Amino acid sequence: MSGLSGRAAIAGIGATEFSKDSGRSELRLACEAVLAAVADAGLRPSDVDGMVTFTADSSSEIHIARSTGMGELRFFSRVPHGGGAACGTVQQAAMAVATGVAEVVVCYRAFNERSGQRFGLGRADAPSGAGADDAAFAWVSPFGLFTPAQWVAMFARRYMHEYKATGEDFGRVAVVDRKHAATNPAAWFYGRPITLADHQASRWIAEPLRLLDCCQESDGGQALVVVSAERARDLPHPPALILAAGQGSGDDQHMMTSYYRPEITGIPEMGLVGRQLYGQSGLGPADVDAAVLYDHFTPLVLPQLEELGFCGRGEARDFIADGHLEVGGRLPVNTHGGQLGEAYIHGMNGIAEGVRLVRGTSVNQPPSVRHVLVTAGTGVPTSGLMLGTDR
Amino acid sequence: MRSRAYDEVTVGETLPELPVPLTRTLIVATAIASRDYQDVHHDPGLAAERGSPDVFMNILTTNGLIDRYVTEWAGPAAEVKAIKIRLGAPNYPGDTMVLTGTVTAKHDEDRRVEIAVRGANRLGAHVTGTVAVRLPGGAES
Amino acid sequence: MAQTEQDGYEKRLGEFAGREAAPPRPGPDPVNVPMIRHWVEAMGDRNPVYLDEEAARRTGRAGIVAPASMMQAWTMRGYAAATAGQDDGSGLGELIALLAEGGYTSVVATDSEFAFHRELTVGDHVGVREIIESISPEKKTALGAGRFVTTERTYLDQHGETVAVQRWRMLWFRPARTPPGGREPAALRPRPAVNRDNAFWFEAAREHRLVIQRCDACGALRHPPGPCCPRCGSYGWDTAEASGRGRVYSYVVSHHPRHPAFEPPYVVALVELEEGTRLVTNLVGVAPEEVEIDMPVALEWLDPDPELSLPVFRPVTA
Repeated sequence: MSGLSGRAAIAGIGATEFSKDSGRSELRLACEAVLAAVADAGLRPSDVDGMVTFTADSSSEIHIARSTGMGELRFFSRVPHGGGAACGTVQQAAMAVATGVAEVVVCYRAFNERSGQRFGLGRADAPSGAGADDAAFAWVSPFGLFTPAQWVAMFARRYMHEYKATGEDFGRVAVVDRKHAATNPAAWFYGRPITLADHQASRWIAEPLRLLDCCQESDGGQALVVVSAERARDLPHPPALILAAGQGSGDDQHMMTSYYRPEITGIPEMGLVGRQLYGQSGLGPADVDAAVLYDHFTPLVLPQLEELGFCGRGEARDFIADGHLEVGGRLPVNTHGGQLGEAYIHGMNGIAEGVRLVRGTSVNQPPSVRHVLVTAGTGVPTSGLMLGTDR
Repeated sequence: MRSRAYDEVTVGETLPELPVPLTRTLIVATAIASRDYQDVHHDPGLAAERGSPDVFMNILTTNGLIDRYVTEWAGPAAEVKAIKIRLGAPNYPGDTMVLTGTVTAKHDEDRRVEIAVRGANRLGAHVTGTVAVRLPGGAES
Repeated sequence: MAQTEQDGYEKRLGEFAGREAAPPRPGPDPVNVPMIRHWVEAMGDRNPVYLDEEAARRTGRAGIVAPASMMQAWTMRGYAAATAGQDDGSGLGELIALLAEGGYTSVVATDSEFAFHRELTVGDHVGVREIIESISPEKKTALGAGRFVTTERTYLDQHGETVAVQRWRMLWFRPARTPPGGREPAALRPRPAVNRDNAFWFEAAREHRLVIQRCDACGALRHPPGPCCPRCGSYGWDTAEASGRGRVYSYVVSHHPRHPAFEPPYVVALVELEEGTRLVTNLVGVAPEEVEIDMPVALEWLDPDPELSLPVFRPVTA
């Protein structure tokens, strides 16, 4: 058990509605999510003294602090690499709280990712500068490989080849996500489950990815409040203890295009995150009662199961086909519907679901959940959390 | 032509594929048969001026071919109740469109069968949609 | 367009929602056998109930019926109207004129959703009433920037009874310019961000040479290149010329989103060169469905525009 394990907890969660056209500014969405999370924690805005978001967020913490009347902040930080940042924001907050640098830290992400700038359209015509981050795209964009779906499709095709996986194996991830979303009133796809046949009939986006392999594009915001474990025990909800928090960047890491490693069927940076989560918490895969696995695209859920030790290499398709991701299965996954079913809030809504699972308040609550593993974006430098019930 | 009875049909059943060779004559003849005289369906020069590489099939014809495809399978007793389509890649001359279909639902109260239909050409999906037909109840009368 | 002018245009377009596109108008001819024959012959439809009274009666019908999908054809105004232009003083005519003002001069139908209330028989006389439902904001489409116009068309018989309802969507767009004589898209491929660390590679490509960065201390090859050797730390490097032979390590067949420089579906491949490094590239001379992992490929050069040369690969026999 590391010095971080169990020192901090998530005491509040708050979100806007998830939509395709919020009709409001991204800053407004951020303020709404933050205020909802602070209220959920039983705190006031003036109690907040730290904030963390993504480098990708358009609303700096100063605008939110000013707008919501937080007053002074003494800790603020940002985490890079898109959706890979999600659990990293909580790691930052937990470290700040555990070291006494701050007492109440809010992590947030809010955007109009559907009605505003859509990531799914890619960066083909994004302005390009001379920096290394822009130059990295020079190896892919001129060839017509410029969207997240295309980048992931390259990994997915190789995975299918090496492990004899099929499009249906990917489709089963979408089906279980949409099954869970169908009973979640907050989900965009509430009441709209799909069948494997629907998945197989959906149009090609970037073969081997079909439309229903791709997560939604959403407008919305999500915030989380992190405080010390001691303080969390005095607040209204049962604490979701942060038993472990890790980041990972693998050997020969690229942004979504780590195609040059000896093998490209795994996600070594997620393996690195997993080893830290188990090491810090003293737990193993068998101790995990539910998981929220980042699902921007279905194919990368499979190697996550393998990297995190829930099954062997190449065995994820059988693990999924055996129904283990369902409520009642060995590892209920994405009980809120995931980013395919609930909303794509860059993984932050998945952390909130992790908190609900620990509180026992998920709309698809499995029995006796003690430990929940949450992951952030795949294909990018990433992060993860192990959340747990108190004592 | 044999008529298919409602009870013979099962959800998940697939229709036999139908390849439709997209000749220039077919595209022009069907446009005129549907009284659609827009130049993009018969005049390659004017089609190019409007940003299209060639003439292309009109939507009324896509409806007609989907109708034909499903009723060839369902038989003459079937009554078409709905045709809902969305167009994607155009049908240009020289290509072939392959129609495929799957039974997706049955409604006992009015013996209505829904069929998901897709027509794909070299460029991808030309059309996706659903057709609903009402079938006779018993064996063929 | 200036912002206020743009707002004004949006408002004027918005005012068409809910308006009648055209007053109810009977089709030129009642349902008749010659037009049905013309239709079924062109469609290749051999269902006998459309032309054979006896066959139609055997199915329980009173007589010949028209194909359901022919509904809209009975209301088409035909050659004279198509060549006379659309502005006939109706709501739709005004809308088309306003769309033309915005540059949206070309049109394609994108969606048709028919619900049929009854079959048409010979002698029925069908008319149509059309209400404009909505005009979308400008959308980028494969054809060009455009707006979707959705209408609801109600088909009425000679007694005023509804025989079918159709939701109908057209895309009015600004045609993207095509170069004379070719189907090759006019748009440029995305520009590579060229900087001090990668310029050598793109400059070699302009000379149709595929090079691989090589550490001058330990000899390790690396791609994508970088300023420093991850193996030995040396900043010194030169290049090796690739043989141009390799194998497909993985690949993607891209369909969406559409970019004007690429005609979907197109193949982006990860090729492993025989020297051991991999690169992202395109495959040429092979249909997407014929691409296979481990397929041997050989280098070719593509010059998509005067400023850019890219290595691409073509399948070869091993």
